[in-house]
Amino acid sequence: MLKNYLLEKKEAHYRMVYSYTKNSEDALDIIQDSIEKALRFIKKNGPPDHLNAWFYKILIRTAIDHIRRHKRTTLMAPEDFEHIFTSEDHYCNFDLKSAMDKLPAHYKTLIVLRYFEDLKIKDIAEILDENINTVKTRLYKALDFLKIKLEEDDDASA
Amino acid sequence: MHQLKDFEKIYNENQVPDQLEFYILKTMRREKMKIKVNIIKKIGLSAAALMIIFTGMVNIHPSFATSMSKLPVLGQVVKVVAFRFDTIDHDQVHAKIEAPVIEGLNNPELEDSLNEKYISEAKGLYEDFMEEMGPIIEMDGHLGIDSGYEIYTDTDQILSLGRYTVNTVGSSSTSFQYDTIDKKQGLLLSLPSLFKNNDYIKVISDYLIETMKSQMKKDENLIYWVQEDGFYVFESIDANQSFYITKENKLVIAFDKYEIAPGYMGILRFEIPTELIEDLLVNNTYIK
Repeated sequence: MLKNYLLEKKEAHYRMVYSYTKNSEDALDIIQDSIEKALRFIKKNGPPDHLNAWFYKILIRTAIDHIRRHKRTTLMAPEDFEHIFTSEDHYCNFDLKSAMDKLPAHYKTLIVLRYFEDLKIKDIAEILDENINTVKTRLYKALDFLKIKLEEDDDASA
Repeated sequence: MHQLKDFEKIYNENQVPDQLEFYILKTMRREKMKIKVNIIKKIGLSAAALMIIFTGMVNIHPSFATSMSKLPVLGQVVKVVAFRFDTIDHDQVHAKIEAPVIEGLNNPELEDSLNEKYISEAKGLYEDFMEEMGPIIEMDGHLGIDSGYEIYTDTDQILSLGRYTVNTVGSSSTSFQYDTIDKKQGLLLSLPSLFKNNDYIKVISDYLIETMKSQMKKDENLIYWVQEDGFYVFESIDANQSFYITKENKLVIAFDKYEIAPGYMGILRFEIPTELIEDLLVNNTYIK
């Protein structure tokens, strides 16, 4: 079960970890460490209830641990990032790709988990160990920063 | 304004390395191999029969040259049979597998069962390697295996040895298995057999957790999985946790890569202060 899941989602997992590490070698290490953790957990406690949310939690926390240790890429604290939202420079020559490069991983992660993994805000809050309102606020900020307009059926608040 | 699908498109432009799937399978399989090793132990083939199968197979594959040498090491007790596979026409794969063979023990049954275990596990590694080799060469990848043993203690009383396997595919993984033998009595020592009762599990576990936490405090580059983070937290050693005994008669508790810490921390070993467990020991024949 875990194996099929991991193979099916391998690209999504890799891209998410890569957004934290910006480095392919570290991303592969983190994926390996995460699988080991997952296998140990299952051996001890049996299969988790929500495989997808559970594995993302392992993946993201392992990535954050890894970055703290390596400090090759800096994990920008959410507070440090606030100034980017208020600065004016991104209004001129705005292009989505460079805006995405500027957006710190834990904001990008919110968009991916909410819209592409279809996880509930409540689950994302649990994965990132944040409260629900913080997650909602940051998600809107990230969308706003990237100038992404939601379609009718994209509901950010679910 | 942009749409989510624009985000998705750019996000997915990031190329995923070709080896990703192989990494995943490899990591999954490593865990399975540990289980398989335990099963092999129960198969009752004689060491001699296995050796014939083993060397027979080596010769079938033309891209490997093999040499078999029997080298006496460490006096009368331990002799080594070395199976060596060296690549000749392929620089992408490398294998070196050596298994220790114990000779001269005063308990022939124990000697046979240990030797059977060592040889059949080496054979298993070899077979796995052969199975993986083809696809790796096709993918233009590299594959290596290095398996052998280390002797920690060889006194009149004790023989303590560890067998290692290093798998290299991109990053490497190492696993160890240890055996400690009382030569005088012809006994294989288990961790529980050293102690009066099960109290040692908690005493040693508490000591290890405390040691790991204090090391992490001193050096932020160290990470052990001892802090609550929701998935895997080390709480206790196994009743039969890996161990060996040093020349100085100290107990060493050992963990494989990934057992209690992220992969980069590697193999972990902790010497347990004797005064901590003194009162729990059956006697101080082995540990002082």
